[in-house]
Amino acid sequence: MSAKLKKSGRLWLVLIPYLLWIGVLFVIPHIKLFGLSFVDHRSGELTLGNYAKFFGSDLYRRVFWRTALYAIFTTILTLLIAFPTAFIITKILGKKMKAILLLSIVLPYWISELIRAFAWMVLMRETGVISYLLQAVGITSHNIEFLYRNGTIVIGLVYTSMLFMIIPIINSLDSLDDSLIEAAYDLGGNFWSTMREVIIPHAGPGIMVGSTMVFMLNLGNYVTVTLLGGKNSLWFTENIYNQFIVRFNQNQGAAFGVILLTFSVLLVWITLKITKQDMAEAM
Amino acid sequence: MTQEIDVSVVNLTKRWGNLTAVNNVSFDVPKGSFFSVLGPSASGKTTVLRMIAGFETPTAGDMFIGGQRINDVPANKRPCNLVFQRLALFPMMNVLDNVTFGLRRRGGISKAEMERMANDVLARVDLKGLNKRKISQLSGGQQQRVALARSLVLDPTVLLLDEPLSALDLKLRQDMKLELKRLQARMGTTFMYITHDQTIALAMSDTVAVINFGKLEQVASPDILYREPATHFVASFVGENNRLNHGRVVKLIDDQTCQVEIGGLLSVARIGEELAPGDDIDLFIRPEMIHLQLGKQASGIVGQIKEINFDGAHSLVVVQLTESAIPLSINVKFQHTEQAPAIAVNDTVTLSWGRAAANAFRHIEPPTEGKE
Repeated sequence: MSAKLKKSGRLWLVLIPYLLWIGVLFVIPHIKLFGLSFVDHRSGELTLGNYAKFFGSDLYRRVFWRTALYAIFTTILTLLIAFPTAFIITKILGKKMKAILLLSIVLPYWISELIRAFAWMVLMRETGVISYLLQAVGITSHNIEFLYRNGTIVIGLVYTSMLFMIIPIINSLDSLDDSLIEAAYDLGGNFWSTMREVIIPHAGPGIMVGSTMVFMLNLGNYVTVTLLGGKNSLWFTENIYNQFIVRFNQNQGAAFGVILLTFSVLLVWITLKITKQDMAEAM
Repeated sequence: MTQEIDVSVVNLTKRWGNLTAVNNVSFDVPKGSFFSVLGPSASGKTTVLRMIAGFETPTAGDMFIGGQRINDVPANKRPCNLVFQRLALFPMMNVLDNVTFGLRRRGGISKAEMERMANDVLARVDLKGLNKRKISQLSGGQQQRVALARSLVLDPTVLLLDEPLSALDLKLRQDMKLELKRLQARMGTTFMYITHDQTIALAMSDTVAVINFGKLEQVASPDILYREPATHFVASFVGENNRLNHGRVVKLIDDQTCQVEIGGLLSVARIGEELAPGDDIDLFIRPEMIHLQLGKQASGIVGQIKEINFDGAHSLVVVQLTESAIPLSINVKFQHTEQAPAIAVNDTVTLSWGRAAANAFRHIEPPTEGKE
């Protein structure tokens, strides 16, 4: 049956909703965005001015690099927390504990990112729960503001993206035959050499998928960063938002958007090259 | 003759809660020998192997390799290597990196030296020139050899093998069986082979240990195991046998032979375990050791041919014993030699056998399902 369908070409019909979706909501807007970024805001003429403005401004460049480095840093931090967790879930825990832990990882995602961020604000603001508790125990005698700090942004981002790192790694570790680990030990391997030569190479595609997703999510995050970091978060998405919504300069905003997109695609591509992985294989 | 012992297991026991997987097992594996542990699935044989390899901790008992007690030595420091049932080759590495994995863990060996050692052992398993191949590009038999090479390159005191041939198809399995035996003879490494396949155990081993329900039934050469089974289980598990239930010991002829009666028919039998006249016994008769003559003869047991199942070199002939008080039938392996009489279904025949063909053991209720 499927061979017949394949031959008639009708199988493609099934893909129409998806093709429409990606075409209308992704391809067309991005082409439009790309076009807009080369148009002058006032005169409507073709120009490279929007890009010149980015490269000419110390502030924009700094915010951009700050965002990029924090996104990379949080991705690495997320990986460092997620990998051992995924390893323990797949290879060490019994069935029941595994289910409980998996559920505990998924559960927070049943709540919207916005509400989670608001909940943290209640916890971390100057008159919030943590500040109150610290005073109650006598560690400090005055209110402490935990919001609007870089560390808070990092904690928020790591938490928000954890699931997207853990699930692909669990998937890849699940397919690792336990006897490979035993074989490595049997041949004289220890914890580190087995990790380095057997487990991590096997989990490589999962690590790559997770890291890519988390990096993209962090780089483009707006809600968590703005709520936890406030006006001083200096996240690049905030600049894009300001151009579009506050200054009504969509051409400048589009140029910022293109720069962000180009950077993230480039970084993922370079990482794949360095780790000698194939995007198709990894995905 | 005193032989050097490579592996020694003393009163080894493994319990999981109420389940006793391995029950007080002791045996010695002589240096340079091919030693098999044979048993049905879930008999505890794999647990024995995994305890020696270091992946399970014994509940009680001691294990020695080359005279050194290894109970407290971690798996990655034991002088033994394991060839896994599903081989467990590292798919992310090529052949050479698989083989040098263990060498790289040792340290102090130069890269060139490692490669020389790897090439040397790969040549010995007939795998030259495939160093750069990925594991997925190898055939089943080649993967088998890489798994052997990966362990042998470390020159272990004993090589443990967990049924690595069971994943291969029949033809390849038979080829590899012979090859494995030759390899063992050539290298002189002690092999300890775990299997549920008695044809493999009998064909390859110097010594076979038969294990059932975690208990050691018999440790002997394949020849002795086949001809002089020590227990009821060994008699029923090893080789083909006619099992006739509920016989009775008539008298003891000498300390090895007795006369038994079954359905009013008399037979001589080897005494498998201590028996006294009147004991309720099961009689095991080897189908290929039964002599079949046409017609009713002066001595022997008379029967009628019910089925002839032709199998090339011989036929399996099912004979209904006509003079028995209870319905009894016996399978006979009939050789098609030039002198052999022509036989047909419904022919009357006389069967006879000597003491060597028949073994008597105290009766045990047969299991409700067939054996494995």
